[in-house]
Amino acid sequence: MSWVQTLNFPFMQHALIAIFFAGIAFPIIGVFVLSLNLIPLRFAMMHVALLGGAIGLFLKVDPLLSGLLFCILSSMALGPISEKMKLGVGILSGYFMTLTLALAFILIYKADIHVLQAFNILWGNILSLSGLDLLFVIGISLIILSIVILFFKEIQAILYDREIALAVGLPEKFFYYLIIFMLGLTIAVSMRLIGALLIDAFVLLPAMAATLISRSLKQTFFFSSLFGLLSGMAGLYFSFVFDIPTSSTIILVASLIIAGCFLFRRGGIPS
Amino acid sequence: MHHSIELKDVYVRLGHVSVLEGVDIEAKPYEFISVVGANGAGKTTLLKVVNGTLRPFKGQVSVLGHDLFQFKNLDFLRRDIGLVPQKSNSNRFPILVEEAVLIGRYGKIGFMQRPKEVDWDKAYEAMKIAGISQFSKKLVHELSGGERQKVALARALAQEPSILLLDEPTTYLDSKSQSEIMETIHTIHHQRGLTTLLVSHDSRLVEQYSDKIYLLKEGKGYLIK
Repeated sequence: MSWVQTLNFPFMQHALIAIFFAGIAFPIIGVFVLSLNLIPLRFAMMHVALLGGAIGLFLKVDPLLSGLLFCILSSMALGPISEKMKLGVGILSGYFMTLTLALAFILIYKADIHVLQAFNILWGNILSLSGLDLLFVIGISLIILSIVILFFKEIQAILYDREIALAVGLPEKFFYYLIIFMLGLTIAVSMRLIGALLIDAFVLLPAMAATLISRSLKQTFFFSSLFGLLSGMAGLYFSFVFDIPTSSTIILVASLIIAGCFLFRRGGIPS
Repeated sequence: MHHSIELKDVYVRLGHVSVLEGVDIEAKPYEFISVVGANGAGKTTLLKVVNGTLRPFKGQVSVLGHDLFQFKNLDFLRRDIGLVPQKSNSNRFPILVEEAVLIGRYGKIGFMQRPKEVDWDKAYEAMKIAGISQFSKKLVHELSGGERQKVALARALAQEPSILLLDEPTTYLDSKSQSEIMETIHTIHHQRGLTTLLVSHDSRLVEQYSDKIYLLKEGKGYLIK
């Protein structure tokens, strides 16, 4: 069967549509993660999702849905809690990461849940997306793109320097929490797409490549979306041609793009 | 005429540490006030109290006639206070100097509105006054420490504030750049008719420019000039 013939199958059409939207929108979240140093938070949310999945299995509800719900709830809570406790998001993420993992293990052990069932939430499959999954991907992608277009200047100020954004009279906390919430949504949906462990293929790697060659935030957003789309589409194509796992192939393509951008480096990864 | 800044018997605790213990400071409109003190004396804390990002647990704080304890959200007031932080942003975030200065206008532009020509004009004027027009198309992280400090100053000016707060604006600069930036600040203070509150560890540097100098020591403020 040729590559073109596979496009007649609904699963392939779903995958292509998902890659189109996620490839464009999700790397923008990656730019937020890099600029605000939210990498520990991203890890914490993945582990919260695992606990959600374990609770879902225990309560006999869809573990994916409960995982999504926990991820979204944690994204709404982590920002305000860190402010209230006067702890950095990084420290709080470490706390939540280990706590939720420990709770998940206790639950898995006590409730006699099959470990692999619980860990399934960490592995997604872009070739098995349902119509509802697709709606989630499109919906969240459109939300991300709309927020970035409507509130570009507020987001630019916060990514540059939160202290300055606050000092010039912007509602810095509101937008910071909004960014964390969007990160939670993106991680929740990405888990279904490519799995929690390979989320970086869509979120982080295209953004890293873009920051290497960009001279403005607009350029960074543009290139990260372009690279996300390119690595997603090329990854899907090469995985079919060479019969290798799709998520891993997307990561390989994204890594090659980073290497290419490194050669043409003009900007630099935010420190 | 009300004071631009008035702190009465202000107490601030950070965790279990008392930082300010009954500080009184007043600045009338158009005055240039300096607060000097050793590192850790509470100078940055004092500025945070004035721009409303830190609430004292006791005392009175009035800025531009507003009692800060009466408001939960002080965004409206911060739009009228220009802040030049001690640490100029040193990360590699991709932003041009002109964009970084334009951020000073963002609080006044309104939600979902894009900067208009008048905002760009004010940003360019601020860059000219701060002496960084030639760097407008450069990335901020390509500049030296002193040049970045001027970017922060230009951003605060683009905001068109009534009050200018400066947190150790000459730290990490060589002596030539220190004098240069102090001269620029002093000129701006007079040209724009600002009330300026500058904190520094170096009393000799600020003496010739200041109408009043307070010494912050062991949590208390003493008027020394």
